[in-house]
Amino acid sequence: MADENKSYVYVNGKVIGTVGNPAQFAGEIRSARRRGIISGEVNVSFNEKLNSVNINTDRGRIRKPYIILENGQTKLTKEILAKLKSKEINFNYLLRNGIIEYLDAEEEENVLVALSERDITERHTHLEVDITSIFGFTINTAPYPEHNSLARHAMLANFTKQAQGVYATNFNQRFDSRAYILYYPQKPIVTTSAYDTARISTHPSGQNFVVALSTYYGYNMSDAIVLNRAAVDRGLGRSMFYKTYVDEERRYPGGQKDKFRLPQPTADGYMGEHVYSKLSEDGIIEPEMEVAEGDALIGKVAPPRFLEENLGAGGLEEKMRDDSVVLKTGEKGVVDSVIFTESTGATKIVKVRIRSNKIPENGDKFASRHGQKGVVALIVPPEDMPFTSDGIVPDLLLNPHSIPTRLTFGHLLEMLAGKAGAVDGNIIDGTAFSEAGTDRITAYGETLKRHGFEAYGNEVLYDGITGMPFKSVLFNGVVYYNRLYHMVSNKIQVRSRGKVQILTHQPTEGKARQGALRFGEMERDALIGYGASLLLKERLLDQSDKTEVLICKNCGNLGYYDHIKKVQVCTVCKENSFVPVEISYAFKVLLDEIRSLHIMPTIKLNE
Amino acid sequence: MFMARDKVDKKYAVEYGEPVGIIAAQSVGEPGTQMILRSFHLAGIESTISTSGLPRIIELVDAKKKPSTPITYIYLDERIGKSFDRAQEVLKKVNEVRMSNIAKRVLENFSKGKIKVILDVQELQSENLTARQVASRIEKELGKVDATVEEGGIIINMHTKNLKDIRAASIKIMKALVSGVDGAGKATIRKDDRTGEFYLVSGGSNIEGVMAVDGVDKERTTTNDVFAIYRLFGIEAARNALGNELKRTLKEQKISVEDRHLFLIADAMTASGTIKGVGRHGLSGEKKSVFARAAYEETLKHLIHAAAYGEVDPMKGVTENILVGKQIPIGTGSVKLAIKKEDLAKIKPKDAKKE
Repeated sequence: MADENKSYVYVNGKVIGTVGNPAQFAGEIRSARRRGIISGEVNVSFNEKLNSVNINTDRGRIRKPYIILENGQTKLTKEILAKLKSKEINFNYLLRNGIIEYLDAEEEENVLVALSERDITERHTHLEVDITSIFGFTINTAPYPEHNSLARHAMLANFTKQAQGVYATNFNQRFDSRAYILYYPQKPIVTTSAYDTARISTHPSGQNFVVALSTYYGYNMSDAIVLNRAAVDRGLGRSMFYKTYVDEERRYPGGQKDKFRLPQPTADGYMGEHVYSKLSEDGIIEPEMEVAEGDALIGKVAPPRFLEENLGAGGLEEKMRDDSVVLKTGEKGVVDSVIFTESTGATKIVKVRIRSNKIPENGDKFASRHGQKGVVALIVPPEDMPFTSDGIVPDLLLNPHSIPTRLTFGHLLEMLAGKAGAVDGNIIDGTAFSEAGTDRITAYGETLKRHGFEAYGNEVLYDGITGMPFKSVLFNGVVYYNRLYHMVSNKIQVRSRGKVQILTHQPTEGKARQGALRFGEMERDALIGYGASLLLKERLLDQSDKTEVLICKNCGNLGYYDHIKKVQVCTVCKENSFVPVEISYAFKVLLDEIRSLHIMPTIKLNE
Repeated sequence: MFMARDKVDKKYAVEYGEPVGIIAAQSVGEPGTQMILRSFHLAGIESTISTSGLPRIIELVDAKKKPSTPITYIYLDERIGKSFDRAQEVLKKVNEVRMSNIAKRVLENFSKGKIKVILDVQELQSENLTARQVASRIEKELGKVDATVEEGGIIINMHTKNLKDIRAASIKIMKALVSGVDGAGKATIRKDDRTGEFYLVSGGSNIEGVMAVDGVDKERTTTNDVFAIYRLFGIEAARNALGNELKRTLKEQKISVEDRHLFLIADAMTASGTIKGVGRHGLSGEKKSVFARAAYEETLKHLIHAAAYGEVDPMKGVTENILVGKQIPIGTGSVKLAIKKEDLAKIKPKDAKKE
């Protein structure tokens, strides 16, 4: 440092000079910005620890608006607010006239922000525009976020993105590769200000569930949930799943190109008549046709991969290869719509959208707006569900153990508020910090009392199976639940026998390839540790890549069986005494690869 | 912990063919996964911050020659240990103080052939040393020089104006040991809250030197440097030290693993007579089977070596048998048929002969 008393000035991270009175310097820039002399996008901060002034004008900084305070007085006075209301001035006026300014993360370190007008003291420099802005947008879609743990907020932010709903009002015209549409979306009984500002209520992504905090014969242990069959049958959580299959008439070097058509039986790779039976004459499937796995959707033939294959006699029909699009395993539905279009390269494109119903079933995922997720474990017939004396049967049974450890008190509050709103026919505001929690509880309690319910939402419930009342009263209410797009029907996969890889002869991996589940190294170690040697051999050899090879007794190399001469041959020593040995095909490949390195591995056999 | 065979309860003896190695690995590995996430330090009492948690385990298991933070626990003879003052006397003898610790600066005057050492008075006092002592120490170290104490430092008359000699001497001075045991490190006095006894903790691992100091209890003094123990006491002691270190490190992290798993690891590492790491350059790299080695690391190196030297894989281990698809010689696979059915028929029972 040239002078200990001076501080460096950085503009976008680069030193441009030093300044003697950094705090004052930063203040001058700030005041110039407020007066509109320099751009409002400039942020300045004085870092006392590093003794540096940082001025940032570059992009990518996250900035947030604050109301400016002067001597403990807000600059957003009542007169200005009135003008704003009468639309005499607009938001930009506030920015230009130094009433509201945007701060970035670095400049926020220099200011003291009051959360509300009540909190303002002489020391405060700024005021939050709205207290809910201390949360992000997603968190603000949750009611009572101030009553939940931060860890659950992070989960909520994820679940909200995964919720099925009406993601776009033109979903009918869109050909997204995957889309989920909730059949009967409802706006939540307990809303927040974010629902108004972002107008989510016009295309919501969830439904109001009647929830009872109750166990159900162990079927809702550890984040499992129990649903009411009657509710599911009436459309609770029901949704539609769109999937689009696309294919293109590609052109290849040499003037050849693909062709949409019914493949001829002579085409290479023809899968059999039944596969193409649902295609129309032009080789494309028609709308409203029911399809299931293995059905062709788009018939297409492609030129052969290698030139030599096409050297047939002139005049004969060109030999083609079948390249049709077939519905993947485990999928079924109805063809929703088919469109023809063109790519930028002027090749024909066909898009086929498949629609299918997704009725909630065991294994589907649901979540409330408090980071409380759950997987359906049982769908109970309505007669076996618990019921209240009014005959209310809950849609969902949530295990009470899922509340205390997660500290999601907002969930309980929403249940109470939802219940009060439901009986009163009102929408209830659950915006963060808008009211004190205790005030809310009393208000909801009074509403409930007015309608003849217990003030804290507890009710006597009767066991649907025995008809006897439960010994304890159960807390129940209405909670807004999202159905998340993780559904078993899109994920389930089974295999007992199936395809193997060509190279190793071991089973394939992954759902798309009908794969098996990997018996990995740690699983292997577990069997070794248990000493189950034959079980291990069965897993790793018999049910995997077992092969029988002939090993030459004389030289220890692999031989083969000549099916024409009906003799066993050893290519190395020309002897013909062999021992058939079971080895893993992977080992055979290893031996082959070692041989390709010009190393001769031989196998010595005992006896 | 030393486990004599006769002391082991028969009930706990493992059966033949039990894969103890895998079980030990799993038993350490499973709780070990928690260690990566939380490697916390105990703040406060422990003034010498030692490597702990997973890094320490890796250090031990890899058989590093020198621990990154060596520590010696120096226990004192019974009479001395009870008195703080007498413990401090021993501390003074042990505590390693070098010139660089007490000297602020070393100034060389090449024209006069003199070196001036400016001492840090505070440091000097805290080490209970006088400038005179330091001066005589320098004279001893360099020989043939005169060191005189003056205001603010020590003037060393080199009796030569050779540039090289003076520079060499000044470097030697900075490295010179002023007091204490070479390699013993900085020592502090601790009090055992349980017995009220005083003992020393030092940040070095020269136990041989420390044990030579009068008043040090040679039976109890120990270090976390496994190799130092190996050099001084031999492989059996090293095995115990290694096992105890593993045990202590895990206990520190509040992870409970059965001792026998840890001592099995220590046994495996020391079985050859020297300490070997478990990795590529140790146990895994010295397996008999070519395939087992090739499956672990440096596949090509092992295959090429095997080809060049005509190695034969005895197919006795687990890895290689899984590779080819044979039953593994562990657990139920360790049992072999003693006699074939056909051969059994050939043997005539003795009773039948008599009849």
